[in-house]
Amino acid sequence: MTALATPAPKARIGTIPRGLLILIGVSALVGVLATFSRGLGLASYHLVLISTLLFWAAQATSWNLLSGFAGYFSFGQGAFLGVGVFTMAVMAGRNDLPYLLAIPVGGLLAGVLALVIGAVAFRLRSLRGEIFALLTLAVPFILGSIALNTRFIDGGLGTTIPTPDRPDWVPSFQHLMVLLNLGVATIAVGVALAVYHSRLGRGLAAVHDAEDAAEVVGVPTFRYKMTAIVLGGVLGGMSGAVFAMMLGYVEVPVVFILYIPLFIILICVAGGRRHWAGPLIGAALLVVLTEWFKVASLDQYRDIVLGLLLVGIVVIAPEGMFGRLRKHPWIALVTFLVVAGVLLLTGYYAELDALLYGMAASVLVTTVAGLPRVERLWQRQTTVDSEPAATPGDAATGAVVGPRPAAGPMAPPPAPPPGGRVLVSVQGVTKDFGGVRALDNVSFDVTEGEIVGLVGPNGSGKTTMVNLLCGAMPPTAGTITIDGRSIKGLAPHRVAHAGVARTYQIPKPFVSMTVRDNVAMAVMFGRTGASYAQARQRAEQCLATVHMQHLADALPESLNLHQRQLLEMARAIAAEPVVLILDEAFAGLNPAEIDDAVAVIRRIHASGVSIIIVEHRLRVLQQLATRIVVLNRGTLIADGEPSTVLNDPAVVQAYLGRQRA
Amino acid sequence: MNTFQVVLSGAMLGGLYALMAAGVSVTWGVLRVINLAHFGLILLGAYLTYQLVTIWRVNPLVTLVVTVPALFVLGALLQWAYDRLNIVEFNSLLVSFGLLIVMIQVAQNIWTADHRELPRDINPFDNGSVSLGAVVLPYDRLVCIGLAVLLLGGGHLMLQRTFVGRGMRAFAEDRTVAASFGIDHRRLSVLLGGAAGASAGIAGMAFMLGNLIQPSHAYEWFGIVFAVVILGGLGNLLGTLYAGISVGALSGLVGVLWSHAYVPIVLFAAIILALVLRPQGVFVRRRAA
Repeated sequence: MTALATPAPKARIGTIPRGLLILIGVSALVGVLATFSRGLGLASYHLVLISTLLFWAAQATSWNLLSGFAGYFSFGQGAFLGVGVFTMAVMAGRNDLPYLLAIPVGGLLAGVLALVIGAVAFRLRSLRGEIFALLTLAVPFILGSIALNTRFIDGGLGTTIPTPDRPDWVPSFQHLMVLLNLGVATIAVGVALAVYHSRLGRGLAAVHDAEDAAEVVGVPTFRYKMTAIVLGGVLGGMSGAVFAMMLGYVEVPVVFILYIPLFIILICVAGGRRHWAGPLIGAALLVVLTEWFKVASLDQYRDIVLGLLLVGIVVIAPEGMFGRLRKHPWIALVTFLVVAGVLLLTGYYAELDALLYGMAASVLVTTVAGLPRVERLWQRQTTVDSEPAATPGDAATGAVVGPRPAAGPMAPPPAPPPGGRVLVSVQGVTKDFGGVRALDNVSFDVTEGEIVGLVGPNGSGKTTMVNLLCGAMPPTAGTITIDGRSIKGLAPHRVAHAGVARTYQIPKPFVSMTVRDNVAMAVMFGRTGASYAQARQRAEQCLATVHMQHLADALPESLNLHQRQLLEMARAIAAEPVVLILDEAFAGLNPAEIDDAVAVIRRIHASGVSIIIVEHRLRVLQQLATRIVVLNRGTLIADGEPSTVLNDPAVVQAYLGRQRA
Repeated sequence: MNTFQVVLSGAMLGGLYALMAAGVSVTWGVLRVINLAHFGLILLGAYLTYQLVTIWRVNPLVTLVVTVPALFVLGALLQWAYDRLNIVEFNSLLVSFGLLIVMIQVAQNIWTADHRELPRDINPFDNGSVSLGAVVLPYDRLVCIGLAVLLLGGGHLMLQRTFVGRGMRAFAEDRTVAASFGIDHRRLSVLLGGAAGASAGIAGMAFMLGNLIQPSHAYEWFGIVFAVVILGGLGNLLGTLYAGISVGALSGLVGVLWSHAYVPIVLFAAIILALVLRPQGVFVRRRAA
């Protein structure tokens, strides 16, 4: 990838190093403070609190890699943590091996467990988020029963972990714990930050938004999910090993309990799951809150409050606090410092109270500042320099996008000369679903420069054909070759790389990304691949082809159906496909919008892309197709020039149910 | 013979699992709410049974007069709230998890974390049994399997035969279309939520007949109940009954041939196997494209 050719946008250059710098700065500061705290007067109570905070931050960050970024909620983080805990127990507690060795080994073993879980779960074709959550719920319990029944791991006896030796420059055991937790947490956050800004992170976000569509634009979803779960497992295991040292005495009922996944989920839901910083904010809020309950000896109400908090956050603010804090970071910071500082200075409040009330005030103020009504007050002063054109407002009017093209000729583009390169070759393809034969021995070719209309009544097998062509499922018999290459056994993202792009009848945009980023995803993960910055530039051209440049910064939710269809097309051509499959791209459009879409398809075709249109509206096909293939009840009944095919008695009968004179 | 006895006892205990799973299965299958709070309702049913039996000193079956209506109302309220806030599928898992935590803590604050059991002198099902030749049928398990057959079989017939049942199945297929044909989905789902709550009350009572209760039991039921729900097919009461009995028998068999500690592992393997071999048949629901 030639990064020299295109300068990256300025905002992007700054983001990564700035985040990293802040991270390194904060870790170093906490580390130094902790280590030399005798001078600052930090009691060992504070050190334990810092360790606890760092531990939960690391666990939540590790959970967030798969469950936050990709949206596959796991109730099984306790399993990774537990593997780490018992690795430490067996190695350092029972066999006197060095604890510094047990930490990476714990990570490794938890990573292996993650690999197994992922390999089983993500291979299940029918896996849905809820099923994944329930399966992972079972894993810690199973590990618990294995540990209880295996003499050398636990056997129901429990294990004491001896106080570790420490270097001379570390003043106490609690200092050592802070340093170890700090180390693991820094690695975890560093990994999350790197993932967030990488192809992996963007791919996972696409999986979160629309997994099918992600695969179709070329994201290797299986590999990415596996990478995320294994990274999460390794980090969770390492952090678990350190946790065992903090516990000192390890037994099964303490480790494999539901409180652990609950607390981690709560942290991430409260903090925000789609950004690496969310879990950190959540950990700060919740660790201080639970600590406050402990100090106030209200432990019997802690779970009630945590449970209600989870309900409240899911109902009221499912996106978490991070987004709100980020909107007004300075207000948040200043509120926190002022409230916490003033409370501390009065001397009536303990540090923990001051911290908690400071955070609560900060959350409250940013939430109020983010309310639409307050937001409007806020924006009234700053609207002058914001550009009005890119607001989604004009999307809502439902107006036809872009300048209307000059009315083109209504005849289809000329058919390419015979003997061109065969791009798609379908040979004797049959597809059975159980006992139902959806396609029966279908064969046709698409040569370079054609627009082939694939038509047929409902249930004729059109959608099945599309799914076979883009590799979503394998044919029962027969072969499909794309540009001379068989796609047998290829995952959909590989088929995409072979040159097939498709749109969905019901558009499946990546809802968390802007229109431009939606298209950029297809460039990044497409056949040629590109950096994010390059992809965004190329995306502009694709949006220009479908006349959507003015909506580049809008979110998909603000688009109307026609615009979403155009976005689908822009995303499909962004991958520079050999052949583009349009699945019912005119469904639900009004006549003016259909004319507009037809013009767009002509432009795409003129740019050198061959097209297969799945459609049942014959008027549209007469305007567009150079050739028409007709399916009826799974068999191919006609293939040829539009005028010939549409007058074929068999076709007419299939469509109208009776012979017409 | 011993093995046969164990498998039979397990199968009868499976009636209890089916009773516990019925509510989860129906709300998941028909209303698309994965209600973890259902375990809290069962817990509540069990504790209420304990409390009433200890105070009134009556046959535990009599307490159903109070627990069933009470839990019906609670279940209906819960479903009403889910509906109001439009909480389905994934969010319902999180929200009901939060509610479950609250319910367990409340139970613990009221009844403490210690074991509770029905007073032995009042519980007529404790320890007694019917002997058929060499086979022994304990009373408490007879009640479990009897109630399960009665309730799940009856519920199945109701779903198949009555107008309300047909409405519910139509609703499960496609709620928009069902609504446009005049099916009042609010009322239906509240009714169904109430019925699930009532079944939790019965399951709680059945659990108390032969077991001790403590708040953390709610978590321990997860594994077996979800195994029954997934193996039985979402929203399929007859399937749930069969799955409950099979899971009970299988657990008994694993216990006698191997060790009770490995029951969760075997069940987990069974779920994975079911998901791999019969992904469409076992739990995937058809949706309008």
